[in-house]
Amino acid sequence: MTVQPEAQISAPIADLESDSLLGDFPEGPRLVGTLCAQCGQTMIGTRVACSTCVSRDVSRIALPATGVLYSFTRLHVGGTDVRPIGYVDLDDGVRTLADLREDGAPLQPDVRVALGVDGDGWFFAPAADD
Amino acid sequence: MTENVYVVSAAMIPFGKHRTSSYVGLAVSPLIDALQSAGVQKSDVDAVYVGHAYGGMMTGQRITKEIGLGTVPTVNIDNACSGGATALHEAWMAIGQGLIDVAVVIGVEKLTQFGGGTLPLSPEDREVKQGIVMPAVYAMRATRYLHDTEATVEDLALVSVKARRHGALNPFAQFRKEVTVEEVLAARSIADPLTLLMCCPTGDGAAVIVLASERARNRLGTPRGMRVAASVLHSGQVAEGYRDMTKPEITYESAHDAYAQAGIGPGELDMIETHDAFSIAELVYYEALGLTEKQSAVALLRDGRTTFGGDVVVNPSGGLLAKGHPVGASGVAQVAEAFWQLTGQAGARQVTDARWALTHVTGGGTAGLDHGACTIHIFEAA
Ligand SMILES: [Zn+2]
Repeated sequence: MTVQPEAQISAPIADLESDSLLGDFPEGPRLVGTLCAQCGQTMIGTRVACSTCVSRDVSRIALPATGVLYSFTRLHVGGTDVRPIGYVDLDDGVRTLADLREDGAPLQPDVRVALGVDGDGWFFAPAADD
Repeated sequence: MTENVYVVSAAMIPFGKHRTSSYVGLAVSPLIDALQSAGVQKSDVDAVYVGHAYGGMMTGQRITKEIGLGTVPTVNIDNACSGGATALHEAWMAIGQGLIDVAVVIGVEKLTQFGGGTLPLSPEDREVKQGIVMPAVYAMRATRYLHDTEATVEDLALVSVKARRHGALNPFAQFRKEVTVEEVLAARSIADPLTLLMCCPTGDGAAVIVLASERARNRLGTPRGMRVAASVLHSGQVAEGYRDMTKPEITYESAHDAYAQAGIGPGELDMIETHDAFSIAELVYYEALGLTEKQSAVALLRDGRTTFGGDVVVNPSGGLLAKGHPVGASGVAQVAEAFWQLTGQAGARQVTDARWALTHVTGGGTAGLDHGACTIHIFEAA
């Protein structure tokens, strides 16, 4: 039997090092995304491989701070508080689940929303300029 | 089975305490590496089988979605320590019956999530309620074995010494330092007569293999691999009364069936990866796997007939004692070791001219059963 090169060692990914989607970027705090250099796919969160083309040539990017509210609900479960949450389609097409604030314009599908930051937390609220 | 089934690639992370990785973080890299080294595109994959015990809902889908490997069936399999090997068994059945051509088998487990100690067992089990833990099961097996045979506690230590010596050569092993009999005996007691160094460590791990039919293997042009010569899965049978704890029937019966399926005997084997979760297990399994007569295992060990240069190398990887035992991953990791051995990729721990390999993993402590499950595979270089 021919002795082959030793089997390659796969490396685990430290995906638990940060559980926050919010990152610091030159343009300010933004949601963290990943861009594939191979096929151009943009994804939410920190990824090590492209979910479209499986390329590992990916990099960390800031996602847009504005988008459109796709749908939402007000959660009444688990206590007396009401917690509005919804899916936001960011301006680059990436969808994220988000806590919502409704102290501005009323929430409804297709309303434009913008990222807000509150300490370590983040939320989306109807955009002031729309 | 009507079709031959081949393992065409294997990939794995080193077992260890990977506290900063989730189940996904553990498994995604070996998943990509296994596909790439087989030359398999994700569109070639017909099904995914995922063995784990503590991963939670949709463990497999959480992993495969990271590379967009969706649409096809993904089956999540919990069979305790046999989960990974059971996943392989299911994939082998589907390909062997001609239903599919290419399957990915993932074994993954993150035991550091429990912060140490013995494995959490089902609190619904009668004996678990009374305080049974896996080290106690094997410790009672050891007590009886030492009572019935000429084996001594030093022999139990010698199993660990061999495992660590093998593991020191394996870059995938959790423990890579050799130990002496004296160090093993001096380690703190876990469950008499077992000391800490006679028990496998908890840890995290992931291993992935790709299986293909002969047709797909030719189409993909994969150069090296191994044929699945036997795949056997048994479940434990209840005993309400006497059970000989030194004669684990589930392994005896599974081995009998596996040898019959493969058409070989234990004498043909060049290497074995056996379920040495605790050092006594290896001795008992020499007998159950037919390497020697009942109650005579210790001679094989003492004479060096189960290490490099012997009749058959048992646990060249270091086994669970040195490699670690992230339960759902272990059965697939054993197959990865067999793959590297039979394809000449095992480096410093290469078994010379390895052609036949056997992997064996039992699973689960449940009241009334020897073990919950047992899976045995036999592979031929091809
Ligand atoms: Zn891509």
